[in-house]
Amino acid sequence: MTFILKYKDINEERVIPKSNYTIKDLLDELGISAQTTVSKQNGELVIEDTVIEDGDEIQLVQIIYGG
Amino acid sequence: MQCSKCGNPKVIIKREQSGQLLCKDCFIESIEKKVIKTVKKEKLLDKGDKVLVALSGGKDSVTTLEILNSFRERNIIDICAVTVDEGIDNYRQDGVDIAIRHAQRLGIEHKVVSLKEDYGITLDEIMQRDNHKGSCTYCGVFRRTIINKAAREMGATKIATGHNLDDEVQAIMMNYLEGNTDNLTKLGARTESRAKEFTVKIKPLREIPEREIGLYVVAKDLEVHFDSCPYAMQSFRGEVSEVINQLAEKHPTIKYSTLRGYDKIKNVLKNELEKEYSHGRCSRCGEPSANELCKACSFLEELGL
Repeated sequence: MTFILKYKDINEERVIPKSNYTIKDLLDELGISAQTTVSKQNGELVIEDTVIEDGDEIQLVQIIYGG
Repeated sequence: MQCSKCGNPKVIIKREQSGQLLCKDCFIESIEKKVIKTVKKEKLLDKGDKVLVALSGGKDSVTTLEILNSFRERNIIDICAVTVDEGIDNYRQDGVDIAIRHAQRLGIEHKVVSLKEDYGITLDEIMQRDNHKGSCTYCGVFRRTIINKAAREMGATKIATGHNLDDEVQAIMMNYLEGNTDNLTKLGARTESRAKEFTVKIKPLREIPEREIGLYVVAKDLEVHFDSCPYAMQSFRGEVSEVINQLAEKHPTIKYSTLRGYDKIKNVLKNELEKEYSHGRCSRCGEPSANELCKACSFLEELGL
């Protein structure tokens, strides 16, 4: 069970490590704050509680930069 | 899980401060309605105004332009825009290009003014100097002067900036923490100077959290420049912002309560602490100034320009 992660220059296939693995779990794993990004699942905006499914394309868009 | 307003299952935001869930269309509508409500409540616009939008090409200024344009479409106001090119390599040009495209798309009068052309130096060059006072100090003062001049040249009656809820709360806390009671009297949705040469400034996005503005531009597919100013991390504002955001994680209404609290005491602060400035002219450039030289010209003198 895998998904595609797109974030800045990253475009890679990743394994879904557990059931009910959410975008919030992914953000925590990457050390990214949900306050600075918005998330898209297969091209559509979603909230961070969304569960990542097999074959999903998850895109994280950074909207807030420091300062 | 479904939209609290229309029941659509495709929810794009959960507002921690209220528990509200919204789909894309209801979210976009809620942002636009809230800005229009601020405009009305704070009396930011008068019929016939020509509003100069300070347009950097970033999310905040593009959102300001987009929503104020709805007033232009209803023939309530006219809009023009100015973009300041501070001269920051590998950063500013993308924003300038995006600003030009938005102005063309909406068919509004737009000018780009560079620090290099106006003052003969870029921000990058200032930062090479050993005795500089920090990037934000120069950028803020020069940008303000350029925008004020542009407003007069373009015949604008208001200047609209993209300050959002986070910016305003940071300014309240920064000025408080620094004991800068003078600056603390000058915040708010609408600020005007006694000097008639300074155009009234308005902040239509003052009650919208920064993240929601980011979500708005992505939801509306608006082209914006998402990037970090290379000098941003040098600022005290960055440190204050980090503390406030940490607090907001456990206390999601804290930004609104800080703003509301400030708004309640603002008039008392103004009455008690507002300074009476003398209204002379800068001996170098002729702009209104409380001192012999205005702030911009005193920096130029220090830089040997």
